[in-house]
Amino acid sequence: MPAPKVDRALVLHVAKLACLSLSDLEADRFAGELARIIGLVEQLDLVETSDVPPTAHVQLERAPWREDEPAPGLSHDDALAQAPRVEQGGFAVPTFVE
Amino acid sequence: MHDQGVTETAARVQKGETTAEATTEAALARIAQLNPAVNAFSHVAGEKAIAQARAVDAKRARGDKPGILAGVPVAVKDAICTRGIPTTAASKILAGYVPPYDATVIERLRAADAIIIGKANMDEFAMGSSNENSAFGAVKNPWDVTRTPGGSSGGSAAAVAARMTPCALGSDTGGSIRQPAALTGTVGIKPTYGRVPRYGLIAFASSLDQIGPFATDVRGAARVLSVIAGPDSRDSTSLVAKADDFEAACGRSVKGLRIGVPDEYFADGLDGEVSASVRAAIGELEKEGCVVVPVHLPHTRFAVATYYVLANAEASSNLARFDGVRYGLRVDEPGGDLRAMYGATRDAGFGAEVKRRILLGTFVLSAGYFDAYYIKAQRVRTLVRRDFENAFREVDVVCSPTYPTPAFRLGERMDDPLAMYLSDVYTLPASLAGIPAMSVPCAPTASGLPVGLQVMARPLDEATMLRVAAAWEARSSTRSARPAMAVGLEGTA
Repeated sequence: MPAPKVDRALVLHVAKLACLSLSDLEADRFAGELARIIGLVEQLDLVETSDVPPTAHVQLERAPWREDEPAPGLSHDDALAQAPRVEQGGFAVPTFVE
Repeated sequence: MHDQGVTETAARVQKGETTAEATTEAALARIAQLNPAVNAFSHVAGEKAIAQARAVDAKRARGDKPGILAGVPVAVKDAICTRGIPTTAASKILAGYVPPYDATVIERLRAADAIIIGKANMDEFAMGSSNENSAFGAVKNPWDVTRTPGGSSGGSAAAVAARMTPCALGSDTGGSIRQPAALTGTVGIKPTYGRVPRYGLIAFASSLDQIGPFATDVRGAARVLSVIAGPDSRDSTSLVAKADDFEAACGRSVKGLRIGVPDEYFADGLDGEVSASVRAAIGELEKEGCVVVPVHLPHTRFAVATYYVLANAEASSNLARFDGVRYGLRVDEPGGDLRAMYGATRDAGFGAEVKRRILLGTFVLSAGYFDAYYIKAQRVRTLVRRDFENAFREVDVVCSPTYPTPAFRLGERMDDPLAMYLSDVYTLPASLAGIPAMSVPCAPTASGLPVGLQVMARPLDEATMLRVAAAWEARSSTRSARPAMAVGLEGTA
C-alpha cells in the first residue's frame, strides 16, 4: 500500500484516538519524527509473507486454569487511597453525559 | 578485600559471619557515597530496608535458617511494584504513587530474605536505550559519568556496576536488561518469555516483557533467577514448566557444546573493538572444548522495524490505563469534560519518547493501517522465530555482541530517535522469539569501556546459556574488574 503522508493533521488525528492533547508545535515535531520511523517500517514490504502466519505471542504452553477460589482482594480504602479525587466512596470524574 | 557478590554475601549472613543489618548498612553507605554522581536510584528505602534486615537477623537468632538471599541488598527497577515504597516507572504521570501490593518477584525476594534497598532509575515506562528519558534525570555510567549506562534498566545496571548492590532486578522488552549489562560490565539475564511472573510489573509490551536479574557474576544472577522464576496463578503467561537448577548449571563443563555464530551480528555498524573482544571470548570457549559453527539468522535486519511496530502497538494499549482517575497525576481543565481531562493529564504526564511511541502504536493499530503494519509485523515476527528454530537444530547456543558499540556519550543520540532504535538490532530478535538471552562481560575496549558477550539459547534452556556464560567468565580476567569509583569501598558488595 502507498505510504501515508505523515503530517500535522494525521498526528492530531492519531493523538485524538490516543487521548493526548498536543500543541501544534508538538504535532509538527512528532510528524517529522514519525515520518522517518514509518519510513523504516516500510522496509517490511521487502519480506514475502503471504504464506506466513502471524505471531501474536510466544507463549510456550496453553495457560492452565486456576482454581476458582475466593481470595481477599484490595480493600475499598486501599483501592481508593491513590486516587487523585474521591467522592462518595468512589473515583470522581468530570461530567461525561449531558 | 572481600569481593562480595550475591552468593558470598548470603553465605556470610547464613553462617553468622556478618548480619543482614550490617550488609544493609554497608550498602546504604555506598549508595550515599556514590549515588549523587551516578543517579542510579529514584528512591532509597533506608528505614524499611533496615527493618527488613533486622527481621532476617531475628529469624537467624531464633534458630531458623535464613533464606538463600539472606541479607543481600537488591535494587529494584522502578517499574516493579513494591508495597509501601514509591513506584513510578520514572514517569511524572505516576509521581508519588505508592502501590498497595508487592509484585510476585518482590514477594519471592522477601521470602528468600533479600533486602529491598530501593528503586532503580530507568527510562520512563522502560522506553529507551540510554536512560535519558527519565523524570528523575539521566543515569550516569559508573565507568565514565559522561556516558550512558544504557537503558531502559540503566539504574539497575549502574547500581550493580558501581557495587552499590551486588544484584538488581530489571525488565527486558527488547534488550532493556542485556544492553545496560553490556555497557556497564555486569551480568544481565532475560529469561524465556513466561519463566518469571510479571504480576506487579508495570506493563510496556505484554507479548515481550520479561523480568530478570543483574549481578556482579553469573552465579549470583543464576541464584536470583532461581528465586524469582516459577509459575504464578496471578500471571496467565507464567509457565508451569519445571526450572533446572540454574546455579548448578554454572559449574558444568561446556566440552562438546555447539556454539552458533551468526554473520548477521558481525555486520556493518559493529565497532571494531567490540567485534574483536566478542570474537576473543568465543575463541576461549573453543579452547574449553566448544565447537564453533557459523549459523544464519537472515531476518535479523528486519527485527528493528518489526519490534517498533509490535512493542509500541502493545504499549499504546497498555498505557491507556493512565487516565487521571484511579492513581497518579490528574490535570483538570476548568469547565472541561472527561476527554479534556484525559488529554490534559496525559499531555502533562508523559515525556516525549512515551508520547512518540503511543502515537506510533496508535497509528499502526488504526483503521486502514492495521493489516499493512501491525499484522505484517506479526508475520515477520514468525520468520524471526523460525530463524532461531532453524539455528537451534544445529547448535546449543548462539553467541554474539550484545550491543554494536561501547557506551555512547549522554546527549549524543537524544535528537535522533531512529539512530537510537537501530542500535538495538542485536537484542531485539531474542525478544521477538521469546528465547532466553543474557549478557556477560568480555574484555573492555582500550579506553576501558565494558563490552558484552550475548549468549542466546533454546526456549526454557537457561541452564545451557548459564553454563556457557559461566565457562567464559571463569576464563576471563574481567570478573573482578570494577570502575575506579567502586575501588576500595568499605564493605563492598
